[in-house]
Amino acid sequence: MKKIMVFTVVVALLIPALSFARKAKYEVVEVNNGGGIQGTVKTSLKVKDPVVPINIQPKEDPKETEIERKTCGKTQQAGIYIVSPSNEVKNVLVIVEGVKKGKAAPKTDLTINNNKCRFEPLVSISYVKSNYIVKNSDPLFHNTSLGVLLKDKRRAVYNLALPYQNQEIKKRNRVAGLIDLKCDAHSWMRAYVYSSRHPYVTITDANGNYELKDLLPGKYTVRFWHEGFQEETKEVEVKAGKVSKLDVSFSKTRKPDFLGRL
Amino acid sequence: MEQFSFLQKIFRLSLFCFLLVFMTLIPALQGVNKAYGDDEDIDEDRVIELGKKVYETRCMICHGSKGDGKGFAGITRRVEKNGRVLKNYARDFTMGVFRFRTTPNGCLPDDEDLMKIISNGVSRSFMPPHKDILSLEEKKSVIEYIKTFSERWEEEDPCDVIEVKKPDWVGSSLSVKKGERVYKEMKCWECHGEEGKGDGPKSDKIKDDWGKPILPFNFVTGELKRGSSAENIYITFTTGLDGTGMPSYEDSLNEEDRWHLVSYTLKLMGKLKSLH
Repeated sequence: MKKIMVFTVVVALLIPALSFARKAKYEVVEVNNGGGIQGTVKTSLKVKDPVVPINIQPKEDPKETEIERKTCGKTQQAGIYIVSPSNEVKNVLVIVEGVKKGKAAPKTDLTINNNKCRFEPLVSISYVKSNYIVKNSDPLFHNTSLGVLLKDKRRAVYNLALPYQNQEIKKRNRVAGLIDLKCDAHSWMRAYVYSSRHPYVTITDANGNYELKDLLPGKYTVRFWHEGFQEETKEVEVKAGKVSKLDVSFSKTRKPDFLGRL
Repeated sequence: MEQFSFLQKIFRLSLFCFLLVFMTLIPALQGVNKAYGDDEDIDEDRVIELGKKVYETRCMICHGSKGDGKGFAGITRRVEKNGRVLKNYARDFTMGVFRFRTTPNGCLPDDEDLMKIISNGVSRSFMPPHKDILSLEEKKSVIEYIKTFSERWEEEDPCDVIEVKKPDWVGSSLSVKKGERVYKEMKCWECHGEEGKGDGPKSDKIKDDWGKPILPFNFVTGELKRGSSAENIYITFTTGLDGTGMPSYEDSLNEEDRWHLVSYTLKLMGKLKSLH
């Protein structure tokens, strides 16, 4: 009898605890003697960065058409493949997946600039609960549409109108995941933001190098994402006070979605 | 006898402890897991069960059994007066993205928003009104059932509804004039065309979040999908239509200018006579 009652109480107490666990996605703890992951991303393929033709439809007022043609140019270097002479790949998002515990994410805001009909930066990181600052440096209309990429879909996060030059809109980052940016007024414009709850995300530099610090010891899955290559995932073990080496080589290209919109 | 009262005491104490913990946790749990008490569980099950029944009889044919918009009816088409063909896709509930909301850009809709669509239907689409077909309980239940298709409803906190108060001067000739300037400056015409016919220079390149081509609204060819009241037009500029190319002007345009734009839109739609 007593046992049954104790059991009932324990179960009853566990139910709320479980529902809490469902909501708590990332736990911030102090990391004193963490480990790191370091590596280089390369490709075994010879890739060529395409030139994107810019097609501006004429408007009723020729002056407006002229402004747009002058600002956006006739062509743009796509900037998909920025590969060093020794085949190292720039702009690869390196994401430690499913991290449950670790350091607090920075509170830095991310500025996305609509400049000369391109988004700057092309690849960046934002943190949930910080802000997006969306800017328009061009003397023409842009809209910045952010969508989170799910398995085979893109789900709207924000779609903001920026009709004026030097306009700035601040919006809170509420959605985690890989965010795709587009401008409905200029089909070639695109950018990518990884929105993270934790600080264990980075981007490779011009030499394909990356470094992640202060992870709690344990086994992790690392995702390497790039708009022009098939993504790769790797397992790695992080040991206290040590840096694990994790290199990757992309062996398959893929066509970025924005090329299909042109 | 004595032992029994001891057990009773323990039982009461445990019950008290449980209630105490439970009560302190309630505020934290609200909205996360509304119902885990037995009675509420049964209630919620009953609501979902009824919602499913309503869904399967009234919604599934277009919206599909999985809520992905791939129902038996498939894509429906409508031809406008000027010959433009509009393709209508039933809403894909698995994305949890809705156009007709009174909540800010990027937010889930309010229950009342969904209630309005279910009750009034969507103009120029094949979504029929259910005002007289479904009871209030049935409508509420089907809303709850629709929410089971996307994890967004569990993950995200609800947003506040945007307040809409129409100024008296909306539709006045001065406001229409000011609105015309806003229409030009905000580059509405780039998509919607100089005369609002949905044929602007950018109109043929726009795609929705499902990758399907989408046409900007032609103001001269009928009703706005969510209804053509001044308030509905205002809320469209303010919230944007999530999942489409229509952005939010909440941060780009002050309230007054948004109302002037409403005036000009009403003029383009030929609706000013009925207003003044």
